[in-house]
Amino acid sequence: MPRETFQQELDGLIEDVYELGAEVEASLQKMVKAMEGRDAEAARAELGVDLRYKARGMDIERECMILQARQAPVARDLRLLYTVQSVTNHLVRSGTLSEHICQAIAETADCEREEDLETALVEMARTARNVFDEGLEVFRGHDIEAARDLQAKDDKVDLLYSEAMNLIANPSEGGGGDPEWRMRAALMVHYLERISDHGVDIGGSTVFLVTGQRIEDAMQQYLDRESGEE
Amino acid sequence: MDTEKIREEQGLSEVSGDQREARRGGDGASAGGAPTLGMKIEGLSAFYGSFEALKDVSIDIQANKVTALIGPSGCGKSTFIRCLNRMHEVVPGARAEGRVMLGDRDIYARGSDPVVIRRRVGMVFQKPNPFSKSVYENVAWGARINGYKGDMDELVERSLKHAALWEEVKDRLRESGHGLSGGQQQRLCIARTLAVEPEVILMDEPASALDPVSTQKIEDTMEQLKQEYTVVIVTHNMQQAARISDFTGFFFIENMGDPGRLWEFDETEKMFSNPERKETEDYVTGRFG
Repeated sequence: MPRETFQQELDGLIEDVYELGAEVEASLQKMVKAMEGRDAEAARAELGVDLRYKARGMDIERECMILQARQAPVARDLRLLYTVQSVTNHLVRSGTLSEHICQAIAETADCEREEDLETALVEMARTARNVFDEGLEVFRGHDIEAARDLQAKDDKVDLLYSEAMNLIANPSEGGGGDPEWRMRAALMVHYLERISDHGVDIGGSTVFLVTGQRIEDAMQQYLDRESGEE
Repeated sequence: MDTEKIREEQGLSEVSGDQREARRGGDGASAGGAPTLGMKIEGLSAFYGSFEALKDVSIDIQANKVTALIGPSGCGKSTFIRCLNRMHEVVPGARAEGRVMLGDRDIYARGSDPVVIRRRVGMVFQKPNPFSKSVYENVAWGARINGYKGDMDELVERSLKHAALWEEVKDRLRESGHGLSGGQQQRLCIARTLAVEPEVILMDEPASALDPVSTQKIEDTMEQLKQEYTVVIVTHNMQQAARISDFTGFFFIENMGDPGRLWEFDETEKMFSNPERKETEDYVTGRFG
């Protein structure tokens, strides 16, 4: 097959992204468990992953640049390299956010909490992790139909975001928990919302990889087609 | 009816001095000058004897744009562009069917003069082929035999400037064209083509025999040329097609022995980022074969 070496290099690059994705997934899993169990030790164990992910991300980015310089990719090869860089960025950012959340969990372990807010936070963490996992699964399987469903799933995270922010802004009388924890909860809510967005964007990048279309354009075409059929 | 009258009726007569002046002063189709013409090809098939080399090609070549033609060897790209100025029929037994419109005139219509067509649709070949004459005469010769009555020195200078060669040869105009480097010779051939003031310039792998620096100069020249001319280029260099062209056509032969076909034609940006057909994508990404 022509360009066999180039194909092997691309395959190796994708494998690197899959590995990074699996590690970030595992980090998110640990973060959610630490939050569910108020487990400061488990959360502390995650501190430092951010540097590792950033280094891995830079390695992948460097390899993409070398392949672009040496192989002058076009069409699907070019889309693949662009997507690899984009997905890697989303993975690294999600890993960083996960570490920030773990740090907040570790540093507020002894704080008094408000039950309703904590329940909303945990629910949001589970949902955001699921959206992220599904985004990664879309990338692994090139499942662009599933990518189109991700946005709806992210809407649930956005609802939980509003609910949690409402609870933060309007604490129950005498039971709002420590101010330190409430402040950290606001940050965690924001980080979780971003993690979910990264999952959606990984799906969107996959749509571009497979079809060459931005997901927004693809969605618009889909809606136009649907309305035309009615 | 005499030949000139037929040419006039076919819209293929010599461009008048006024029209030439208008084209020089204008920027292609705008600025009030005579507009540069595009070409519209409808159902073009080309034959060498009984062998059909090219089948049913229809394509719009837009004025003041660079159109690149790519595809594997033997798929009919060169045959195709040779049909665009009736050079195909120079090969014994070769013929073409279909319509090739230059503006609103079919260059294959009865009575149209191939010599006039070839002046209006000029061609630059793969290997530079200057005449055994001086640099000046190489450029002036075509215009002179076409009866050019204007200022020949001005025409030569302008043509060499358009071909981005003037600065390199202005002090060597009386020296032989063969004394120039390969890249300079190719630009001299471009200047020679420009001197007869064509509307369309066909280039058949014009940089394939040149080093990267000369190639870059030819590519830069093309960016300037399209301001005033319609350019069609055959190239095997994918990156060159991606760099210089506005539109790209991919020619392809599906099975050995079949005629070549225009497989996909689109804006270059689309062809090199997200082509519609698998064969195109395989070819541009180097997965072909």
